[in-house]
Amino acid sequence: METLQPTLKRGRDVWDRINMPEMEFHRRVEKIREEMKKENIDCLLLYGKGANEYGNPCYISNFAIKMPRGALAAIPLKGDITLIVDGFSRDQPAVKSVTWVDNIRSCRDVAQECLDLLKEQNLIPSTLGFAGLKELMPYPQFQSIINALGRCKIVDAQPIINKMRMVKSFREQDQIRRSSRIIQRAFDRVCSSPLSEMNERVLEATLDYIARMEGAEDIRILVARPMERGWTMRPAENRGISDGEDIITYVAVAFERYWSEGIRTFAAGPSHFKEKTSEDAAALYQKILRMIEPGVAVTQVCKDALGEIQKSPMEYLPQYGLGQSIGLSPRELPRIAMESQDHFIENMCFTLRLALKDKENVSLMTGDTILLSKSHRECLTR
Amino acid sequence: MPQENLKLERAVEAIGEKGLDGLIVYSNGTCDILGAKNLFYFAEFRPLGPHNAAVISKSGEAVLLVEPEWDAARAKRFSWIKDVRGTADFIKTMPDLMDEFKLTRKVGVVAYKEMTEGVYKCIGKKADTETADDVIAEMAYNKTEKEVAIAREAGRITDKGFEALLKHARVGITEYELLAEIEFDMRKAGADDIFNFMSSEKQNFAMHSPTDKRLSPGDIVIAEITAAFEGQFIQLCKTVVLGRPDPVLAEKYDMLLQAHDASLRVIKPGIPASQISRSMNKVISDAGYAKYCYPPYMRARGHGIGVGSIAPGAVIDDDTEGILKTGQALVVHPNQFLPETGYLACGETVLVTDTGMERLSKTENKLYTIEV
Repeated sequence: METLQPTLKRGRDVWDRINMPEMEFHRRVEKIREEMKKENIDCLLLYGKGANEYGNPCYISNFAIKMPRGALAAIPLKGDITLIVDGFSRDQPAVKSVTWVDNIRSCRDVAQECLDLLKEQNLIPSTLGFAGLKELMPYPQFQSIINALGRCKIVDAQPIINKMRMVKSFREQDQIRRSSRIIQRAFDRVCSSPLSEMNERVLEATLDYIARMEGAEDIRILVARPMERGWTMRPAENRGISDGEDIITYVAVAFERYWSEGIRTFAAGPSHFKEKTSEDAAALYQKILRMIEPGVAVTQVCKDALGEIQKSPMEYLPQYGLGQSIGLSPRELPRIAMESQDHFIENMCFTLRLALKDKENVSLMTGDTILLSKSHRECLTR
Repeated sequence: MPQENLKLERAVEAIGEKGLDGLIVYSNGTCDILGAKNLFYFAEFRPLGPHNAAVISKSGEAVLLVEPEWDAARAKRFSWIKDVRGTADFIKTMPDLMDEFKLTRKVGVVAYKEMTEGVYKCIGKKADTETADDVIAEMAYNKTEKEVAIAREAGRITDKGFEALLKHARVGITEYELLAEIEFDMRKAGADDIFNFMSSEKQNFAMHSPTDKRLSPGDIVIAEITAAFEGQFIQLCKTVVLGRPDPVLAEKYDMLLQAHDASLRVIKPGIPASQISRSMNKVISDAGYAKYCYPPYMRARGHGIGVGSIAPGAVIDDDTEGILKTGQALVVHPNQFLPETGYLACGETVLVTDTGMERLSKTENKLYTIEV
């Protein structure tokens, strides 16, 4: 789901080499180079930007951009990988501490630095794979790259990376388990201990605090008041929460780069919250979850899910979608949407969410992060 | 006249002066502190989706287009722009909106650098474009009374953040736990965004995001604490020592305080912003550190500060040409690497007044110590 992006990722920024060993990245590079060979790509450029879309270069380097700026990993078919970071040279020690890549170049114009690199490595002309440049790079920078690479053949390499990122290795699964556990603890805390004040801002501050103390790198929180007419998800405001009111709470947490997402509908008590459940909604959620198996088309699940909801006493609220893949971005591809061309695959992590309204016009929302194995769907956030 | 009407009036004036059909103030929903957040400032609404824009016609009609569609409800509550439209597909909707507003010849585009190819082309296929970031930057310099009150509140929250640092910095706490404590207090005090960096070593090289490093006796904790209230950022740069400070550190920090005071004394409307930097550098140079007055030993002597970013005003160094204006907020910081002490943080945010400047936070400027 879309959330306010922070001006700075402010949480714990480390590379734990036990959780994510360097060998994991070498395996990815090896696999990428195999794919590059198939497409005759001489050098692959992986671009990412900002607090949400840092995944492409991070997948190879482990480096995640802390501010809404760009970074690019250049992977030649042979030789060393280079990481180009939009930032200042004095920030290099911090960058070096979280990546195994030795060649780090700081600059204020990623496109120009990339062109300089390609010239130095005699890669103009050549066949270049682009991932994320067209979709994410600021247009003036993208235009300067395109103008300067007239003699190069450009291959759209985003599908190669998407396909690889969709399947989560065991290391990646564990990282998503860790971010999921943080979400569980944050939700448990607001249900088990009194808040200093029943206020949206205090709820947000408490969830943020618990997650940060557990080592979260980034946290996103949205709330909604489903008892209010025309309610929508939104950032917390300085508004009190009365005893008996419902509040939908969306929390997404990144731990050492990897995201998880959870949504709960809470009923407010005098000083804390209790999860509000509905048997109909829970049954529906489980039915939809059981539709998801490796090999099933995403669009088929959407059709069947909507059909199932129509048969139920609940009304579906479509604006927040059914979910999406999750990992190095809170919103990875594919989205669980009718227009998707993808299939669910083994070892994919995704979020499944449902916003529903019952016959009494009471709305609720629920959502969890799920790991799909060959024969099992494991809910990571409960 | 209400301020929002002034914003619209100035935008329409600029459209006329530049011979445009209209203006598109775009946002990709992110906030890079180094770049102006034009839509946030202009529409008084911080977007969360990937594509958003205010579209203003030369006759003064204004629409706020917001993606995702569901965020339009929030935009309607916060923005002074009455005509708010949600869209699930900005790139498809924008050309229709340009037709509706007759933006078919030449249009001014604010935040062109935030646009991806798809966004730029959906505008470019309807009209010629020219960058118009200066239109919003000009508006943002002079703070209204309401904006000054917001800045003071942000200053209060920033002070709370530093109080929390003094309360929680202790031997054994990790950097990330310390920042979590600081930000918990800042959030509860009303911060709607936070931009905090720190470092905790015997000699620091630069501030960074928090790590697993545990604070130990003798550590010098440097921190840049920046809170936003209703989008307006206010910053404090401070240094705290765990334990009795080394006399050399105390002496060098005193030199930075003198440099800071010297720069504050020159602030008044009409002077070039470079004077702030030059007066600061003179004190540091006279103390024998002239070569350290340039990168990589420091970055800038200050910068503007506003809604979601350091704009308007940009970076302040010896060559900054901008002239200080009444109502302008700026950060003044002789943050400095010195060979004997490492990088030290020292600075605060001030408001340029008719007669000089007003400090926007109450935290005293000094080298802080915590007993261990």
